[in-house]
Amino acid sequence: MKLEERGILSRYDLRKPFNRTVYVIMLLVVIVMACSMIYPVLVAMFNAFKTNTEVNSFPPTFLPNEGWHWSNLKQAWNYIDLPIFLRNTMFIFIGNMVVTVGVLGLAAFSLSKLQVPKAKHISMFFLITLFIPPTTYLIPNFLNLKDLGLINTFAAFWLPAGASAFNLLLLKNFFDGLHQEMFEAARIDGASELRCFAGLALPLSIPIIATLAIFVFSTAWNDWFWPSLVMHNDSKYPLSTAIYKYVISARGLGLNIRFAILFMVMLPPIVVFLVFQRFIMRGLNLGGVKG
Amino acid sequence: MDRTAAPQRQQGEIGERRAGIGQILKKHLWGYLFLLPALLIFAMFLWLPIIKGFFYSFYHVDFVKGNSFVGFDNYKTVFHDSDVGISIRNTLYYMGLALVMGFWVPIVFAISISEVRRFQGILRIAAYLPNVIPVVVLYGLWRWFYDPVGPINAAITKTVGGEGVSFMTDTSWSMISLVFMETWQQFGAAMLLYLAAILSVPRDWYEAAEIDGAGVWMRIRHITLPSIKNLILLMLLLQLIGTSQGFQSQLAMLDGGPNNATLTYALLIVKYATTRLELGVASAMGVLMFIVLSVLAIIQFRLQHKGDN
Repeated sequence: MKLEERGILSRYDLRKPFNRTVYVIMLLVVIVMACSMIYPVLVAMFNAFKTNTEVNSFPPTFLPNEGWHWSNLKQAWNYIDLPIFLRNTMFIFIGNMVVTVGVLGLAAFSLSKLQVPKAKHISMFFLITLFIPPTTYLIPNFLNLKDLGLINTFAAFWLPAGASAFNLLLLKNFFDGLHQEMFEAARIDGASELRCFAGLALPLSIPIIATLAIFVFSTAWNDWFWPSLVMHNDSKYPLSTAIYKYVISARGLGLNIRFAILFMVMLPPIVVFLVFQRFIMRGLNLGGVKG
Repeated sequence: MDRTAAPQRQQGEIGERRAGIGQILKKHLWGYLFLLPALLIFAMFLWLPIIKGFFYSFYHVDFVKGNSFVGFDNYKTVFHDSDVGISIRNTLYYMGLALVMGFWVPIVFAISISEVRRFQGILRIAAYLPNVIPVVVLYGLWRWFYDPVGPINAAITKTVGGEGVSFMTDTSWSMISLVFMETWQQFGAAMLLYLAAILSVPRDWYEAAEIDGAGVWMRIRHITLPSIKNLILLMLLLQLIGTSQGFQSQLAMLDGGPNNATLTYALLIVKYATTRLELGVASAMGVLMFIVLSVLAIIQFRLQHKGDN
Protein backbone atom coordinates (compact mmCIF):
# COMPACT_ATOMS: atom_id res chain seq x y z
CA MET A 1 0.00 0.00 0.00
CA LYS A 2 1.31 3.42 -0.87
CA LEU A 3 1.75 5.71 2.09
CA GLU A 4 -0.61 8.57 1.43
CA GLU A 5 0.18 12.12 2.46
CA ARG A 6 -1.84 13.16 5.43
CA GLY A 7 -2.16 16.00 7.86
CA ILE A 8 -4.22 16.08 11.02
CA LEU A 9 -7.02 14.57 8.95
CA SER A 10 -6.72 11.29 7.12
CA ARG A 11 -8.78 10.20 4.14
CA TYR A 12 -10.79 8.01 6.48
CA ASP A 13 -11.87 10.98 8.62
CA LEU A 14 -13.49 12.71 5.69
CA ARG A 15 -15.80 9.75 5.11
CA LYS A 16 -17.65 10.60 8.31
CA PRO A 17 -20.48 13.04 7.53
CA PHE A 18 -19.88 15.22 10.59
CA ASN A 19 -16.20 15.69 9.83
CA ARG A 20 -17.06 16.32 6.21
CA THR A 21 -19.48 19.15 7.00
CA VAL A 22 -17.02 20.75 9.42
CA TYR A 23 -14.29 20.48 6.80
CA VAL A 24 -16.47 22.10 4.15
CA ILE A 25 -17.43 24.92 6.52
CA MET A 26 -13.76 25.40 7.31
CA LEU A 27 -12.92 25.58 3.62
CA LEU A 28 -15.64 28.18 3.13
CA VAL A 29 -14.30 30.28 6.00
CA VAL A 30 -10.79 30.11 4.58
CA ILE A 31 -12.06 31.13 1.15
CA VAL A 32 -14.01 34.04 2.64
CA MET A 33 -10.85 35.09 4.47
CA ALA A 34 -8.83 35.00 1.25
CA CYS A 35 -11.50 37.03 -0.56
CA SER A 36 -11.59 39.60 2.23
CA MET A 37 -7.86 40.06 1.78
CA ILE A 38 -8.15 40.66 -1.95
CA TYR A 39 -11.35 42.71 -1.72
CA PRO A 40 -9.71 45.99 -0.54
CA VAL A 41 -7.26 45.87 -3.43
CA LEU A 42 -10.09 45.48 -5.92
CA VAL A 43 -12.19 48.14 -4.20
CA ALA A 44 -9.35 50.62 -4.39
CA MET A 45 -8.86 49.78 -8.04
CA PHE A 46 -12.50 50.04 -9.10
CA ASN A 47 -13.21 53.12 -7.00
CA ALA A 48 -10.23 54.80 -8.60
CA PHE A 49 -12.00 54.74 -11.95
CA LYS A 50 -15.44 55.94 -10.81
CA THR A 51 -16.87 59.43 -10.87
CA ASN A 52 -16.93 61.15 -7.51
CA THR A 53 -20.74 60.97 -7.31
CA GLU A 54 -20.68 57.22 -7.92
CA VAL A 55 -18.10 56.62 -5.17
CA ASN A 56 -20.25 58.59 -2.74
CA SER A 57 -23.50 56.86 -3.68
CA PHE A 58 -25.23 54.54 -1.23
CA PRO A 59 -25.31 51.56 -1.38
CA PRO A 60 -21.83 51.54 -2.95
CA THR A 61 -21.33 49.86 -6.30
CA PHE A 62 -18.50 47.38 -6.77
CA LEU A 63 -17.69 47.82 -10.46
CA PRO A 64 -17.73 51.26 -12.05
CA ASN A 65 -21.14 51.47 -13.70
CA GLU A 66 -20.77 54.88 -15.28
CA GLY A 67 -17.75 54.07 -17.37
CA TRP A 68 -14.05 53.90 -16.55
CA HIS A 69 -12.60 57.32 -15.91
CA TRP A 70 -8.93 56.95 -16.68
CA SER A 71 -8.40 60.67 -16.22
CA ASN A 72 -8.67 60.08 -12.45
CA LEU A 73 -5.26 58.46 -12.51
CA LYS A 74 -3.71 61.45 -14.22
CA GLN A 75 -5.35 63.83 -11.76
CA ALA A 76 -4.12 61.70 -8.86
CA TRP A 77 -0.61 61.58 -10.30
CA ASN A 78 -0.55 65.37 -10.47
CA TYR A 79 -2.05 65.86 -7.00
CA ILE A 80 1.12 65.01 -5.08
CA ASP A 81 4.63 64.43 -6.29
CA LEU A 82 4.75 60.67 -5.76
CA PRO A 83 8.19 60.05 -7.37
CA ILE A 84 9.92 62.41 -4.91
CA PHE A 85 8.34 60.68 -1.91
CA LEU A 86 9.12 57.27 -3.35
CA ARG A 87 12.71 58.35 -3.85
CA ASN A 88 12.89 59.46 -0.20
CA THR A 89 11.56 56.09 0.97
CA MET A 90 14.11 54.23 -1.14
CA PHE A 91 16.80 56.58 0.12
CA ILE A 92 15.93 55.71 3.71
CA PHE A 93 15.72 52.00 2.93
CA ILE A 94 19.08 51.79 1.17
CA GLY A 95 20.86 53.82 3.85
CA ASN A 96 19.30 51.74 6.62
CA MET A 97 20.31 48.55 4.85
CA VAL A 98 23.93 49.67 4.41
CA VAL A 99 24.19 50.64 8.08
CA THR A 100 22.48 47.45 9.23
CA VAL A 101 24.77 45.15 7.26
CA GLY A 102 27.89 47.22 7.87
CA VAL A 103 27.59 48.08 11.55
CA LEU A 104 25.53 45.18 12.87
CA GLY A 105 27.20 42.68 10.54
CA LEU A 106 30.66 43.57 11.83
CA ALA A 107 29.50 43.46 15.44
CA ALA A 108 27.69 40.16 14.99
CA PHE A 109 30.74 38.68 13.25
CA SER A 110 32.99 39.79 16.08
CA LEU A 111 30.68 38.39 18.76
CA SER A 112 30.16 35.14 16.91
CA LYS A 113 33.56 34.30 15.42
CA LEU A 114 36.35 36.37 16.97
CA GLN A 115 36.17 35.19 20.62
CA VAL A 116 36.82 38.59 22.13
CA PRO A 117 37.12 38.57 25.95
CA LYS A 118 34.02 39.90 27.77
CA ALA A 119 31.83 39.08 24.76
CA LYS A 120 29.05 38.13 27.19
CA HIS A 121 29.01 41.56 28.80
CA ILE A 122 29.12 43.30 25.46
CA SER A 123 26.19 41.20 24.22
CA MET A 124 24.27 42.25 27.31
CA PHE A 125 24.90 45.89 26.44
CA PHE A 126 23.22 45.26 23.10
CA LEU A 127 20.49 42.81 24.00
CA ILE A 128 19.05 44.43 27.14
CA THR A 129 17.65 47.11 24.84
CA LEU A 130 15.26 44.46 23.51
CA PHE A 131 13.47 44.54 26.85
CA ILE A 132 12.92 48.29 27.00
CA PRO A 133 9.72 49.22 25.16
CA PRO A 134 10.45 51.91 22.54
CA THR A 135 7.41 53.98 23.50
CA THR A 136 8.93 54.73 26.90
CA TYR A 137 11.75 56.67 25.23
CA LEU A 138 9.89 57.78 22.08
CA ILE A 139 9.97 61.48 22.92
CA PRO A 140 13.47 61.50 24.50
CA ASN A 141 14.64 59.79 21.32
CA PHE A 142 13.27 62.69 19.31
CA LEU A 143 14.84 65.21 21.70
CA ASN A 144 18.14 63.34 21.47
CA LEU A 145 18.13 63.59 17.67
CA LYS A 146 17.38 67.28 18.05
CA ASP A 147 20.30 67.72 20.46
CA LEU A 148 22.56 65.97 17.97
CA GLY A 149 21.35 68.27 15.20
CA LEU A 150 20.04 65.43 13.07
CA ILE A 151 16.44 66.63 12.75
CA ASN A 152 15.36 66.95 9.13
CA THR A 153 18.30 64.92 7.84
CA PHE A 154 18.31 61.39 6.48
CA ALA A 155 21.06 60.52 8.93
CA ALA A 156 18.34 60.59 11.61
CA PHE A 157 17.10 57.33 10.06
CA TRP A 158 20.34 55.79 8.85
CA LEU A 159 22.38 55.94 12.04
CA PRO A 160 19.69 54.69 14.48
CA ALA A 161 19.06 51.82 12.03
CA GLY A 162 22.32 50.39 13.39
CA ALA A 163 20.82 50.28 16.89
CA SER A 164 18.57 47.25 16.42
CA ALA A 165 19.25 44.44 18.85
CA PHE A 166 16.78 42.21 17.02
CA ASN A 167 18.63 42.46 13.72
CA LEU A 168 21.92 41.97 15.53
CA LEU A 169 20.61 38.77 17.06
CA LEU A 170 19.36 37.57 13.68
CA LEU A 171 22.80 38.09 12.11
CA LYS A 172 24.69 36.62 15.06
CA ASN A 173 22.58 33.47 15.08
CA PHE A 174 23.24 33.02 11.40
CA PHE A 175 27.01 33.54 11.79
CA ASP A 176 26.99 31.01 14.63
CA GLY A 177 25.94 28.41 12.10
CA LEU A 178 28.95 29.05 9.84
CA HIS A 179 31.91 26.73 10.37
CA GLN A 180 34.81 28.15 12.33
CA GLU A 181 37.32 25.99 10.39
CA MET A 182 36.59 27.92 7.21
CA PHE A 183 37.71 31.15 8.83
CA GLU A 184 40.75 29.46 10.38
CA ALA A 185 41.76 28.25 6.91
CA ALA A 186 41.33 31.72 5.46
CA ARG A 187 43.45 33.19 8.25
CA ILE A 188 46.21 30.65 7.63
CA ASP A 189 46.14 31.68 3.98
CA GLY A 190 46.80 35.21 5.18
CA ALA A 191 43.37 36.79 5.03
CA SER A 192 42.78 39.68 7.42
CA GLU A 193 39.73 39.67 9.69
CA LEU A 194 38.12 42.29 7.50
CA ARG A 195 38.68 40.05 4.49
CA CYS A 196 37.19 37.11 6.39
CA PHE A 197 34.10 39.20 7.04
CA ALA A 198 33.63 40.83 3.66
CA GLY A 199 34.94 37.99 1.51
CA LEU A 200 33.62 34.96 3.39
CA ALA A 201 30.97 35.69 5.99
CA LEU A 202 28.93 38.20 3.97
CA PRO A 203 28.62 36.18 0.75
CA LEU A 204 27.65 33.13 2.80
CA SER A 205 24.94 35.03 4.63
CA ILE A 206 23.01 36.23 1.58
CA PRO A 207 19.87 34.40 2.79
CA ILE A 208 19.78 36.19 6.13
CA ILE A 209 20.65 39.51 4.50
CA ALA A 210 17.69 39.01 2.17
CA THR A 211 15.49 38.40 5.21
CA LEU A 212 16.87 41.52 6.86
CA ALA A 213 16.18 43.44 3.67
CA ILE A 214 12.51 42.42 3.89
CA PHE A 215 12.29 43.61 7.50
CA VAL A 216 14.19 46.84 6.89
CA PHE A 217 12.17 47.55 3.78
CA SER A 218 8.84 46.99 5.45
CA THR A 219 9.83 49.36 8.25
CA ALA A 220 10.93 52.07 5.83
CA TRP A 221 7.86 51.49 3.71
CA ASN A 222 5.30 51.41 6.54
CA ASP A 223 6.61 53.90 9.06
CA TRP A 224 4.66 57.13 8.82
CA PHE A 225 4.56 58.53 12.33
CA TRP A 226 8.26 58.73 13.19
CA PRO A 227 9.24 60.44 9.89
CA SER A 228 6.45 62.96 10.43
CA LEU A 229 8.14 63.91 13.73
CA VAL A 230 11.70 63.91 12.47
CA MET A 231 11.31 65.45 9.02
CA HIS A 232 9.94 68.96 8.64
CA ASN A 233 10.30 69.40 4.95
CA ASP A 234 7.89 68.39 2.21
CA SER A 235 10.74 67.31 0.02
CA LYS A 236 12.06 64.91 2.66
CA TYR A 237 8.94 62.98 3.68
CA PRO A 238 8.90 59.31 2.81
CA LEU A 239 5.91 58.00 0.89
CA SER A 240 3.88 56.77 3.89
CA THR A 241 4.13 60.07 5.74
CA ALA A 242 3.23 62.02 2.63
CA ILE A 243 0.18 59.83 2.02
CA TYR A 244 -0.90 60.33 5.63
CA LYS A 245 -0.43 64.09 5.57
CA TYR A 246 -1.75 64.91 2.12
CA VAL A 247 -4.21 62.13 1.32
CA ILE A 248 -5.59 60.49 4.47
CA SER A 249 -5.97 63.67 6.53
CA ALA A 250 -6.74 65.89 3.56
CA ARG A 251 -10.13 67.55 3.42
CA GLY A 252 -11.85 68.46 0.21
CA LEU A 253 -10.04 65.87 -1.85
CA GLY A 254 -12.43 63.90 -4.04
CA LEU A 255 -12.95 60.35 -2.83
CA ASN A 256 -12.28 58.90 -6.26
CA ILE A 257 -8.98 60.77 -6.57
CA ARG A 258 -8.09 59.61 -3.06
CA PHE A 259 -8.69 56.00 -4.07
CA ALA A 260 -6.71 56.52 -7.26
CA ILE A 261 -3.70 57.69 -5.23
CA LEU A 262 -4.04 54.83 -2.74
CA PHE A 263 -4.32 52.38 -5.63
CA MET A 264 -1.20 53.71 -7.32
CA VAL A 265 0.70 53.46 -4.04
CA MET A 266 -0.38 49.90 -3.24
CA LEU A 267 0.19 48.53 -6.72
CA PRO A 268 4.03 48.44 -6.89
CA PRO A 269 4.58 46.55 -3.60
CA ILE A 270 1.86 44.03 -4.49
CA VAL A 271 3.44 43.38 -7.89
CA VAL A 272 6.91 43.04 -6.35
CA PHE A 273 5.50 40.73 -3.68
CA LEU A 274 3.70 38.51 -6.19
CA VAL A 275 6.77 38.26 -8.43
CA PHE A 276 9.20 37.46 -5.62
CA GLN A 277 6.74 35.72 -3.29
CA ARG A 278 8.69 32.46 -3.29
CA PHE A 279 11.83 34.19 -2.00
CA ILE A 280 9.97 36.48 0.34
CA MET A 281 8.06 33.63 1.98
CA ARG A 282 11.29 31.67 2.41
CA GLY A 283 13.00 34.72 3.85
CA LEU A 284 10.18 35.31 6.32
CA ASN A 285 10.36 31.71 7.46
CA LEU A 286 14.11 32.01 7.99
CA GLY A 287 13.59 35.12 10.09
CA GLY A 288 10.84 33.46 12.07
CA VAL A 289 12.82 30.34 12.86
CA LYS A 290 16.02 32.17 13.70
CA GLY A 291 14.44 35.05 15.59
CA MET B 1 33.91 18.97 41.16
CA ASP B 2 33.50 22.62 41.95
CA ARG B 3 36.55 22.56 44.16
CA THR B 4 38.81 21.30 41.43
CA ALA B 5 37.40 23.57 38.77
CA ALA B 6 37.57 26.79 40.77
CA PRO B 7 41.32 27.10 41.25
CA GLN B 8 41.93 26.31 37.62
CA ARG B 9 39.60 29.04 36.52
CA GLN B 10 41.25 31.45 38.92
CA GLN B 11 44.64 30.61 37.54
CA GLY B 12 43.37 31.23 34.05
CA GLU B 13 42.02 34.59 35.05
CA ILE B 14 45.22 35.58 36.76
CA GLY B 15 47.16 34.48 33.71
CA GLU B 16 45.00 36.61 31.52
CA ARG B 17 45.32 39.56 33.85
CA ARG B 18 49.09 39.21 33.85
CA ALA B 19 49.10 39.37 30.10
CA GLY B 20 47.82 42.91 30.57
CA ILE B 21 45.10 44.89 28.92
CA GLY B 22 47.47 46.05 26.24
CA GLN B 23 48.18 42.56 25.05
CA ILE B 24 44.53 41.53 25.09
CA LEU B 25 43.73 44.57 23.01
CA LYS B 26 46.52 43.73 20.61
CA LYS B 27 45.39 40.16 20.24
CA HIS B 28 41.76 41.06 19.78
CA LEU B 29 42.27 44.41 18.09
CA TRP B 30 40.08 43.51 15.11
CA GLY B 31 37.40 42.00 17.29
CA TYR B 32 37.03 45.21 19.27
CA LEU B 33 37.36 47.42 16.21
CA PHE B 34 34.47 45.51 14.62
CA LEU B 35 32.37 46.06 17.73
CA LEU B 36 33.20 49.74 18.02
CA PRO B 37 30.71 51.21 15.50
CA ALA B 38 27.83 49.19 16.92
CA LEU B 39 28.79 50.12 20.49
CA LEU B 40 28.88 53.80 19.58
CA ILE B 41 25.57 53.70 17.73
CA PHE B 42 23.81 51.76 20.47
CA ALA B 43 25.15 54.20 23.05
CA MET B 44 24.23 57.30 21.04
CA PHE B 45 20.83 56.33 19.68
CA LEU B 46 19.47 53.89 22.23
CA TRP B 47 21.08 54.18 25.64
CA LEU B 48 21.51 57.95 25.52
CA PRO B 49 17.80 58.61 24.83
CA ILE B 50 16.80 56.08 27.47
CA ILE B 51 18.94 57.85 30.09
CA LYS B 52 18.05 61.31 28.83
CA GLY B 53 14.38 60.43 29.29
CA PHE B 54 14.88 60.37 33.05
CA PHE B 55 16.53 63.78 32.97
CA TYR B 56 14.00 65.39 30.65
CA SER B 57 11.20 64.23 32.94
CA PHE B 58 12.46 66.80 35.49
CA TYR B 59 12.78 69.61 32.99
CA HIS B 60 10.45 71.92 31.18
CA VAL B 61 11.56 71.45 27.58
CA ASP B 62 11.48 74.65 25.58
CA PHE B 63 13.08 74.78 22.15
CA VAL B 64 13.35 78.56 22.11
CA LYS B 65 14.26 79.61 25.65
CA GLY B 66 16.11 76.46 26.62
CA ASN B 67 15.25 73.81 29.20
CA SER B 68 14.62 74.70 32.83
CA PHE B 69 14.61 72.43 35.87
CA VAL B 70 11.13 72.05 37.35
CA GLY B 71 11.55 69.23 39.87
CA PHE B 72 8.55 66.95 40.09
CA ASP B 73 6.16 69.35 38.31
CA ASN B 74 5.90 67.15 35.22
CA TYR B 75 4.94 64.16 37.36
CA LYS B 76 2.38 66.29 39.22
CA THR B 77 0.87 67.28 35.88
CA VAL B 78 0.59 63.62 34.93
CA PHE B 79 -1.10 62.66 38.20
CA HIS B 80 -3.55 65.57 38.03
CA ASP B 81 -4.53 64.97 34.41
CA SER B 82 -7.82 63.09 34.25
CA ASP B 83 -7.00 61.98 30.69
CA VAL B 84 -4.23 59.76 32.07
CA GLY B 85 -6.71 57.55 33.93
CA ILE B 86 -8.90 57.34 30.84
CA SER B 87 -5.93 56.47 28.66
CA ILE B 88 -4.79 53.68 31.00
CA ARG B 89 -8.28 52.21 31.01
CA ASN B 90 -8.43 52.46 27.21
CA THR B 91 -5.04 50.78 26.86
CA LEU B 92 -6.10 47.86 29.05
CA TYR B 93 -9.36 47.62 27.11
CA TYR B 94 -7.42 47.65 23.84
CA MET B 95 -5.05 44.92 25.06
CA GLY B 96 -7.97 42.78 26.22
CA LEU B 97 -9.92 43.24 22.99
CA ALA B 98 -6.85 42.37 20.93
CA LEU B 99 -6.54 39.13 22.91
CA VAL B 100 -10.21 38.20 22.71
CA MET B 101 -10.77 39.24 19.10
CA GLY B 102 -7.38 38.71 17.55
CA PHE B 103 -5.03 36.36 19.29
CA TRP B 104 -6.67 33.06 18.35
CA VAL B 105 -7.34 34.02 14.73
CA PRO B 106 -3.93 33.18 13.25
CA ILE B 107 -3.83 29.87 15.14
CA VAL B 108 -7.22 28.77 13.82
CA PHE B 109 -6.41 29.80 10.27
CA ALA B 110 -2.98 28.16 10.42
CA ILE B 111 -4.53 24.85 11.46
CA SER B 112 -7.23 25.20 8.80
CA ILE B 113 -4.86 26.13 6.00
CA SER B 114 -2.48 23.31 6.94
CA GLU B 115 -5.36 20.96 6.14
CA VAL B 116 -6.14 22.47 2.74
CA ARG B 117 -4.54 20.20 0.17
CA ARG B 118 -4.71 22.33 -2.94
CA PHE B 119 -4.02 26.03 -3.49
CA GLN B 120 -2.33 26.31 -0.11
CA GLY B 121 0.25 28.65 -1.64
CA ILE B 122 -2.43 31.04 -2.87
CA LEU B 123 -4.07 31.11 0.55
CA ARG B 124 -0.76 31.95 2.19
CA ILE B 125 -0.13 34.76 -0.25
CA ALA B 126 -3.64 36.12 0.20
CA ALA B 127 -3.33 36.08 4.00
CA TYR B 128 0.00 37.89 3.84
CA LEU B 129 -1.15 40.47 1.28
CA PRO B 130 -2.24 43.22 3.75
CA ASN B 131 1.24 43.12 5.29
CA VAL B 132 2.66 44.22 1.96
CA ILE B 133 0.43 47.26 1.54
CA PRO B 134 1.60 50.36 3.49
CA VAL B 135 -0.48 50.70 6.66
CA VAL B 136 -1.47 54.28 5.86
CA VAL B 137 -3.09 53.10 2.65
CA LEU B 138 -5.05 50.53 4.65
CA TYR B 139 -6.10 53.24 7.11
CA GLY B 140 -7.45 55.21 4.16
CA LEU B 141 -9.36 52.21 2.81
CA TRP B 142 -10.80 51.21 6.16
CA ARG B 143 -11.99 54.72 6.88
CA TRP B 144 -14.21 54.27 3.88
CA PHE B 145 -15.24 50.71 4.78
CA TYR B 146 -16.35 51.91 8.20
CA ASP B 147 -18.07 55.00 6.81
CA PRO B 148 -21.78 55.36 7.67
CA VAL B 149 -22.42 55.07 3.91
CA GLY B 150 -19.61 52.58 3.31
CA PRO B 151 -19.85 48.98 2.06
CA ILE B 152 -20.04 47.31 5.50
CA ASN B 153 -23.05 49.38 6.49
CA ALA B 154 -24.59 48.78 3.08
CA ALA B 155 -24.27 45.03 3.67
CA ILE B 156 -25.76 45.36 7.16
CA THR B 157 -28.77 47.41 6.09
CA LYS B 158 -29.35 45.10 3.15
CA THR B 159 -29.25 41.84 5.10
CA VAL B 160 -30.32 42.76 8.66
CA GLY B 161 -32.05 46.03 7.95
CA GLY B 162 -32.22 48.86 10.46
CA GLU B 163 -30.03 51.87 10.89
CA GLY B 164 -26.52 50.53 10.36
CA VAL B 165 -23.67 51.11 12.77
CA SER B 166 -21.46 54.16 13.06
CA PHE B 167 -18.30 52.14 13.57
CA MET B 168 -16.01 55.10 14.01
CA THR B 169 -18.08 57.74 15.79
CA ASP B 170 -19.93 55.50 18.27
CA THR B 171 -17.77 55.37 21.40
CA SER B 172 -18.75 51.80 22.19
CA TRP B 173 -17.80 50.63 18.67
CA SER B 174 -14.71 52.67 17.83
CA MET B 175 -12.11 50.58 19.68
CA ILE B 176 -13.69 47.32 18.52
CA SER B 177 -13.57 48.56 14.94
CA LEU B 178 -9.89 49.41 15.26
CA VAL B 179 -9.02 46.02 16.75
CA PHE B 180 -10.97 44.25 14.01
CA MET B 181 -9.08 46.19 11.37
CA GLU B 182 -5.71 45.49 12.96
CA THR B 183 -6.48 41.80 13.32
CA TRP B 184 -7.43 41.61 9.66
CA GLN B 185 -4.30 43.44 8.70
CA GLN B 186 -1.76 41.65 10.90
CA PHE B 187 -2.84 38.05 11.34
CA GLY B 188 -1.18 36.89 8.12
CA ALA B 189 2.36 37.32 9.39
CA ALA B 190 1.63 35.46 12.64
CA MET B 191 -0.25 32.79 10.71
CA LEU B 192 2.79 32.03 8.54
CA LEU B 193 4.86 31.41 11.67
CA TYR B 194 2.21 29.11 13.16
CA LEU B 195 1.80 27.34 9.83
CA ALA B 196 5.51 26.59 9.60
CA ALA B 197 5.44 25.18 13.14
CA ILE B 198 2.32 23.09 12.49
CA LEU B 199 3.69 21.65 9.25
CA SER B 200 6.84 20.54 11.06
CA VAL B 201 4.85 18.27 13.41
CA PRO B 202 5.64 14.66 12.35
CA ARG B 203 2.75 13.17 10.40
CA ASP B 204 3.07 9.71 12.03
CA TRP B 205 2.01 11.14 15.39
CA TYR B 206 -1.40 11.80 13.92
CA GLU B 207 -1.40 8.35 12.33
CA ALA B 208 -0.61 6.72 15.67
CA ALA B 209 -3.24 8.79 17.50
CA GLU B 210 -5.84 7.92 14.91
CA ILE B 211 -5.10 4.21 15.23
CA ASP B 212 -5.50 4.62 18.98
CA GLY B 213 -8.94 6.04 18.31
CA ALA B 214 -8.38 9.76 18.86
CA GLY B 215 -10.89 11.94 17.03
CA VAL B 216 -9.95 14.99 14.99
CA TRP B 217 -10.49 17.43 17.84
CA MET B 218 -8.48 15.21 20.23
CA ARG B 219 -5.62 15.14 17.73
CA ILE B 220 -5.60 18.95 17.49
CA ARG B 221 -5.98 19.34 21.25
CA HIS B 222 -3.32 16.80 22.28
CA ILE B 223 -0.82 16.86 19.40
CA THR B 224 -1.01 20.05 17.35
CA LEU B 225 -1.53 22.61 20.12
CA PRO B 226 1.09 21.19 22.53
CA SER B 227 3.63 21.10 19.68
CA ILE B 228 3.25 24.82 19.08
CA LYS B 229 2.80 25.77 22.74
CA ASN B 230 6.10 27.62 22.97
CA LEU B 231 5.37 29.62 19.86
CA ILE B 232 1.90 30.51 21.20
CA LEU B 233 3.43 31.76 24.45
CA LEU B 234 6.02 33.78 22.58
CA MET B 235 3.39 35.34 20.33
CA LEU B 236 1.22 36.10 23.37
CA LEU B 237 4.09 37.92 25.02
CA LEU B 238 4.92 39.81 21.83
CA GLN B 239 1.30 40.80 21.35
CA LEU B 240 0.95 42.07 24.92
CA ILE B 241 4.15 44.09 24.56
CA GLY B 242 2.97 45.45 21.23
CA THR B 243 -0.58 46.37 22.21
CA SER B 244 0.48 47.98 25.48
CA GLN B 245 2.31 50.54 23.34
CA GLY B 246 -0.22 50.82 20.55
CA PHE B 247 -1.14 54.25 19.27
CA GLN B 248 -0.64 54.44 15.50
CA SER B 249 -4.02 53.20 14.29
CA GLN B 250 -5.76 55.19 17.04
CA LEU B 251 -3.93 58.32 15.94
CA ALA B 252 -4.37 57.83 12.21
CA MET B 253 -7.97 56.66 12.19
CA LEU B 254 -9.58 58.68 14.99
CA ASP B 255 -6.99 60.92 16.63
CA GLY B 256 -7.97 59.45 19.99
CA GLY B 257 -11.62 60.35 19.60
CA PRO B 258 -14.59 60.10 19.69
CA ASN B 259 -14.70 61.63 23.16
CA ASN B 260 -11.31 60.10 24.08
CA ALA B 261 -12.64 56.57 23.52
CA THR B 262 -9.52 55.48 21.68
CA LEU B 263 -7.00 57.59 23.58
CA THR B 264 -4.35 55.07 24.64
CA TYR B 265 -1.50 55.81 27.01
CA ALA B 266 1.07 55.86 24.22
CA LEU B 267 -1.15 58.16 22.20
CA LEU B 268 -1.38 60.53 25.16
CA ILE B 269 2.43 60.60 25.29
CA VAL B 270 2.44 61.55 21.62
CA LYS B 271 -0.23 64.19 22.19
CA TYR B 272 1.68 65.75 25.06
CA ALA B 273 4.67 66.00 22.77
CA THR B 274 3.00 67.17 19.56
CA THR B 275 -0.17 69.13 20.29
CA ARG B 276 0.25 70.14 23.94
CA LEU B 277 3.98 70.83 23.44
CA GLU B 278 4.88 69.57 26.93
CA LEU B 279 7.79 67.32 26.02
CA GLY B 280 8.91 67.12 29.64
CA VAL B 281 5.53 65.71 30.66
CA ALA B 282 5.71 63.28 27.74
CA SER B 283 9.11 62.10 29.00
CA ALA B 284 7.72 61.74 32.53
CA MET B 285 4.89 59.58 31.19
CA GLY B 286 7.48 57.43 29.42
CA VAL B 287 9.43 57.03 32.65
CA LEU B 288 6.27 56.07 34.55
CA MET B 289 5.40 53.50 31.90
CA PHE B 290 8.94 52.12 32.11
CA ILE B 291 8.67 51.79 35.91
CA VAL B 292 5.26 50.09 35.78
CA LEU B 293 6.34 47.65 33.07
CA SER B 294 9.58 46.84 34.92
CA VAL B 295 7.71 46.16 38.15
CA LEU B 296 5.28 43.92 36.28
CA ALA B 297 8.17 42.06 34.65
CA ILE B 298 9.85 41.53 38.04
CA ILE B 299 6.61 40.29 39.63
CA GLN B 300 6.03 37.94 36.73
CA PHE B 301 9.61 36.65 36.97
CA ARG B 302 9.26 36.08 40.75
CA LEU B 303 5.92 34.30 40.38
CA GLN B 304 7.29 32.07 37.66
CA HIS B 305 10.25 31.06 39.81
CA LYS B 306 8.00 30.39 42.77
CA GLY B 307 5.93 28.16 40.52
CA ASP B 308 9.06 26.27 39.50
CA ASN B 309 9.90 25.47 43.11
